[in-house]
Amino acid sequence: MKGISRVLVANRGEIAVRILRACRELGLESVLTVSETDKNSLPARLADRAVCIGPPSPMESYLKVDTIIAAALGTGSDAIHPGYGFLAEQPQLAEACATHGLIFVGPKADDLRKMGDKLYARKLAGGAGVSIIPGSELVGHPGEAAEAARRVGFPVLLKAAAGGGGKGMKIVARAEDLRTVFDEASGEALSAFGDDRIYVEHYIENARHIEVQIIGDRFGNIIHLFERDCSLQRRYQKMVEEAPSPAVSPELRREICEAAVRIGKQIGYENAGTVEFMLDQDHGRFYFLEMNTRIQVEHPVTEMISGIDLVKEQFRVAAGDSFSVSQEEVRLTGHAIECRINAESPGAGFSPCPGYITEWKSPTGEGVRVDSHCYSGYFVSPYYDSLLAKLITRGTDRREAIDLMQYALAKFVVSGIDTTIPFHQFIMKHTDYLNGNVSTNWIENRLVKEYEKNGGNPFR
Amino acid sequence: MDTISQDEVIQILRIVEESTFDELCLETGDFKLIVKKHGGSELNQRSSRAGEILGHPEAVQERQSVAMGENQAEPGKAASVPEKDRREIEAMGGNPEEGCIPIRSPMLGTFYRAPKPGAPPFVEVGRWISADDSVCIIEVMKLFNTVKANIRGRIAKVCAENGQMVEYQQTLFLVEEVDGAGETDKEEIAS
Repeated sequence: MKGISRVLVANRGEIAVRILRACRELGLESVLTVSETDKNSLPARLADRAVCIGPPSPMESYLKVDTIIAAALGTGSDAIHPGYGFLAEQPQLAEACATHGLIFVGPKADDLRKMGDKLYARKLAGGAGVSIIPGSELVGHPGEAAEAARRVGFPVLLKAAAGGGGKGMKIVARAEDLRTVFDEASGEALSAFGDDRIYVEHYIENARHIEVQIIGDRFGNIIHLFERDCSLQRRYQKMVEEAPSPAVSPELRREICEAAVRIGKQIGYENAGTVEFMLDQDHGRFYFLEMNTRIQVEHPVTEMISGIDLVKEQFRVAAGDSFSVSQEEVRLTGHAIECRINAESPGAGFSPCPGYITEWKSPTGEGVRVDSHCYSGYFVSPYYDSLLAKLITRGTDRREAIDLMQYALAKFVVSGIDTTIPFHQFIMKHTDYLNGNVSTNWIENRLVKEYEKNGGNPFR
Repeated sequence: MDTISQDEVIQILRIVEESTFDELCLETGDFKLIVKKHGGSELNQRSSRAGEILGHPEAVQERQSVAMGENQAEPGKAASVPEKDRREIEAMGGNPEEGCIPIRSPMLGTFYRAPKPGAPPFVEVGRWISADDSVCIIEVMKLFNTVKANIRGRIAKVCAENGQMVEYQQTLFLVEEVDGAGETDKEEIAS
């Protein structure tokens, strides 16, 4: 590949495995940065070389821009793939890459900065002619927030301008709760992002989370790879994703995908990105939510319905080539579902469950894909997030994908630690899910309670 | 002379044995020989035996039988070197049973043996160092971090290449510990 021959993969876990696979298929040499705990990890063994960058704590290893640049230069790498999380959306790493003549496999630093500011992103979407959820500018104090809330109508969502991952995000149902919640939200935003700026948005109660995968090249071309439905969330953390969305008609699909491409074009976006929307199910309207400037956890569902390898496309456009396909060639075929298998106890309030995996047997077969870094004897470190595996199934239609998922979940054996597998089995057998009758608060408002009541048994 | 035969080692040991010198440090090509007479306290026997040949375990065995007669390497003692260190020292071509303590890199960066280009190295093999002595510099993006020995002893081996990238916790030097204040002894107490 022109311009790239050796890639530094600055991540860990399943996404490191995923990126290393793409490197191998593209004939690129790979170097993996590892913390002390990850020295013997599966990706460390798959990489051509692994370099230890620091102690287990991410602050002292995976989040150190200077160390990662030094590792790239010291190993003669010419590109850095940041994966997701860690430094993926930090303009500092992308900028340092540019300074040192390294290719950052992701968007331009400037785009990361712009889209990282949620208020800027709202304005940009508005400028591209895409509806945004009624909301405010920054609110400096609870009084201003109350004023804005009256204007957009309760319930409202207080959101951090620097936000992401649900941090600093709070629902306020009544005016009298505003003052307390405002302080909570800005405090949480400050500790999570070092930025306590807050704005107000109307809260859509019966919503679906629909996001569109886009990819842009250096020549100003942007294509979309259809939508993903990520409505099944718990505390703003996605649990199940699927493509296409059972709630999106062909007409709506065309509209929403076009809107995403318009937003991408508005900033001249390069590389893979995701434009997120809220679909108001009561009124059939969609609103821009935010844009994620990275490869996402749930990218495999898009790969499974489009046949396009997104990570390889990332490398292609980062190296200055165009996509391997044109928009007309991108076809939506079949239906794919992804379940995130986390090291959490669904029976104990989803508390994290690190420890030794004594037995690990993942399902296989036609239409089943498992993206994971785990194996029997692997120690799940408390230092990192709890994602163990992404189980993806693909069928000719939704029903087939669900059947396959039920089968695959039943065949998935993980011993030694608790996982979210039983909770996913519960979801996959629930009539609401089977009928596509869900919203973003379905898991929290309904399913978690039912799960606890039934002791995790969907047939009771 | 690139290598030394076992017979020559034995000869050298005999010469030292009969001489009035307490120590001998010989370096030729990749080969290093450090010989010491009169072991210190019981605790430090391991690191102050009469001879050390890094990377040549058979020669060490030979030397031990010469210098200590029936007193072969004590397995219990050798095992007190932490398993992680043992593996690492072995990987570096050293012999963990010889009781060398590694000085590890506190960060990933470029390893420099001298304070500035052209200057003499901070330390050479055979040099006595105390805990406060600087042994090298690790550079991370133009930030120069001086690494202290944090151990008393003598440099037995330089394990990293000047100007090359070293990883976090990579062994930079092997040090023969001399006063029982090093990390191995702490580990022994802890275990």
